[in-house]
Amino acid sequence: MRLSLAPLSLLIAVALAFGLPARAADSGELLRVKGMTTSTEAVSIKALHYGDSLFNFFQDKHFSALTGLMTSQHFERLTPHGDEAEVLRGGLLLSYGVHNEAGQIFASLIDKGAAPSVRDRAWFYLAKIRYQRGLNADAEAALARIEDKLPAALAEERGLLQAQLLMARNDFASAVQVLTAINTGAGKASPSPFARFNLGVALIKSADAAGGTALLDAIGRAPAATEEERSLRDRANLALGVAALQDQRADEAQRALERVRLTSLHANKALLGFGWAAAARKQPALALVSWTELVSRDASDPAVLEARIALPFAHAEAGAYGQSLKLYEHAVDAYDGEALRLDASIAAIRAGNLVDGLLQRNPSDEMGWSGQVRKLPGMPHAAHLAQVLAQHPFQEAFKNFRDLRFLEANLAQWRDTLGVYRDMLELRRAAYAARLQPTRSGAQAQAAALADLRQRRAHIATEIGDAVVVSNGFAFADARQRDLLARVESLQSAIKSPNQNPEIAALAERVRLAAGVLTWQLAQDYPARRWEHQKGLTVIDQQLDQAAQREAALAQAQREEPLRLDRYAARIDALARQLDATLPRVAALAREQQGAVQTIAEAALVDQKQRLVAYTAQARFEIAQLMDRATTASRSDDRVAR
Amino acid sequence: MRTLYSTIATFALALLCGAANAQAALAQAPTPLPAPAPVGLDDRVQQAKSDVIKLNRDLLVLEEELLFPASTQVALFVSMDVGTLFELDSVQIKLDDKLVANHLYTPMEVQALHRGGVQRVFLGNLKSGTHEIVAFFTGKGPHDRDYKRGATLKFDKGSGAGYVELRIKDSLGKLQPEFDVRVWQ
Repeated sequence: MRLSLAPLSLLIAVALAFGLPARAADSGELLRVKGMTTSTEAVSIKALHYGDSLFNFFQDKHFSALTGLMTSQHFERLTPHGDEAEVLRGGLLLSYGVHNEAGQIFASLIDKGAAPSVRDRAWFYLAKIRYQRGLNADAEAALARIEDKLPAALAEERGLLQAQLLMARNDFASAVQVLTAINTGAGKASPSPFARFNLGVALIKSADAAGGTALLDAIGRAPAATEEERSLRDRANLALGVAALQDQRADEAQRALERVRLTSLHANKALLGFGWAAAARKQPALALVSWTELVSRDASDPAVLEARIALPFAHAEAGAYGQSLKLYEHAVDAYDGEALRLDASIAAIRAGNLVDGLLQRNPSDEMGWSGQVRKLPGMPHAAHLAQVLAQHPFQEAFKNFRDLRFLEANLAQWRDTLGVYRDMLELRRAAYAARLQPTRSGAQAQAAALADLRQRRAHIATEIGDAVVVSNGFAFADARQRDLLARVESLQSAIKSPNQNPEIAALAERVRLAAGVLTWQLAQDYPARRWEHQKGLTVIDQQLDQAAQREAALAQAQREEPLRLDRYAARIDALARQLDATLPRVAALAREQQGAVQTIAEAALVDQKQRLVAYTAQARFEIAQLMDRATTASRSDDRVAR
Repeated sequence: MRTLYSTIATFALALLCGAANAQAALAQAPTPLPAPAPVGLDDRVQQAKSDVIKLNRDLLVLEEELLFPASTQVALFVSMDVGTLFELDSVQIKLDDKLVANHLYTPMEVQALHRGGVQRVFLGNLKSGTHEIVAFFTGKGPHDRDYKRGATLKFDKGSGAGYVELRIKDSLGKLQPEFDVRVWQ
């Protein structure tokens, strides 16, 4: 049986490699997406509103960033960052799982001939979307269109994606070339452990099993500074160990598996494999050490469950049949208990406790990336779900569910807000109506005053015109001059009759001289005063025009304001209708998605139950065999005694 | 007993293989895996998300036009150019002697500013004419000393929307932070 499994070893290694398209952690994913704009270097902002979207984006408030960005696009205030904004929008939609629209955005950027750096990123993300949709040939074509303007943050990921595509069509030799280039690329301080891991796998698949194994072995022995690297090292060792075990190289398997940390995510599998390697090398004591440790761990782990029957097997191998029988019986009890707990967990899932518990334990302000499920729900026997919760399909399904719940709450909030806006509009309408009559009365009075002013202006204009015709300056005399003219005229009238009195004659001469001086002064002042009066008339005209414009604006506002308020009301009504139509749709989808999440979790637990059934049957079979052996031995002893 | 060994070994290997694949799946955020949900659900969810995002855009546009029409709109932004000489703690802004913004910064917000983000700290309405803006920045200056500085600007608000940027930048000559107020047309 074990021999027949041997050819699978490489496949296992490859399966592990396919799990590492780039940095595994979601934080790495975040960084990559930030590469859509910049990595960690400051962006030079030439449009404040684009900077505002980035401000939200850099704080992982992706929904605010996206909707704010789209609002600013509507108001056309992102120039000159238009294309960058589109790349950011596409990337954010991609992170929300809105692949179709994201694809359209990137394709449109390429079609319109965006700048090379934008185009390269668009091709890259388009390739990624196509790969995610299983369109590998199209993804390769998109990758081939990338020139040399990809940011450094994305360049490695591009290589890893290309290598995966090549491996997917069994071109392992080319994949090795690509991965080798990533690992030895110019300017790289140290090769990426992920790229090295994938290179190891590609080497194995390209018929260089020794080279690949050596590389994985090197990764498995290398010091690791971060938890991410330590986890990768554990995975390399597990892959090597499993592969060696399947090839019946038990000693190599042991060496690789014993390097896996006991606190690692992979520790249980490593302990199980190590036990089997020891058993294969006829070292039941070592196997017992490994499996005894394993059975003390969380019973919901499948490796622990299997260890429960592996342990009595080791005892039997060591000849301790009594102990073996006892442990098999314990195993059957444990499986029965575990089956009951699994039933309870399945019932809790069906009752909706899983998603409620997960939402409670894994809160998130906004939808998107930061929504990774890290904490188990607060429900009985939640540890059963640890395995399934760690899997990508469950994470994706739960993320969709949580996104939908977020959107449902968002829409409900908008519905309340629209109600407030509707009230506000009514208040504006009432305030407008209250001010309308006084405004109209005032406007009528002002119109009458304006007409009067126009008449007065016409009269003044006529006077000025007459004065200009006469051209003697008398019409432009000021108050003092008019007073003097009146006095001169009065004096002239008084001395008009001929008089021989010499004093009177002298006075008449003085009056004549004064009149002459006055006339001369008026004639001197005439041009300036005519200009001033004509200028004043122009100012009056301008002010009358302004008054007329204000009057017209007021009249226009009276006509338009109700229409403007009506337009707002119509928009609010239209949006409210959209909200009313969308909200139940989103709520229904959330329920459907919740069902999908529960189905995934339940299926995993049903799998566990089936495995338990098989283990239980196996344990019972072994108990029967041990009982048979004991009975047979007892009869033999009796026969010998007789 | 050999039968048991073979059977259990098969279980074990299947378990190890399965576990390995499961772990691989955990790590691969963007790899092609079978859709977890029933056929069609993913597409409908995508469409719903897209519709809601667009609806949010339309609602935000309405909100802005209704509450902050372009003719009276004024927005105040805070940005940081390098900013190594100043650790921003808070900003207080007065517009025509009236307090309009008082913001305490989280480390994440400061980091976002350092990376080129621009914070819209106030959005409101102002009538046309001359206005005065006074901003006070508090934080830690050079040598980790408490630092509080003000910046003032008189600006003319025209008939269009007015945007004012309050920028924190480093004066490498003076080894002091500088606070700039700039009106965007």
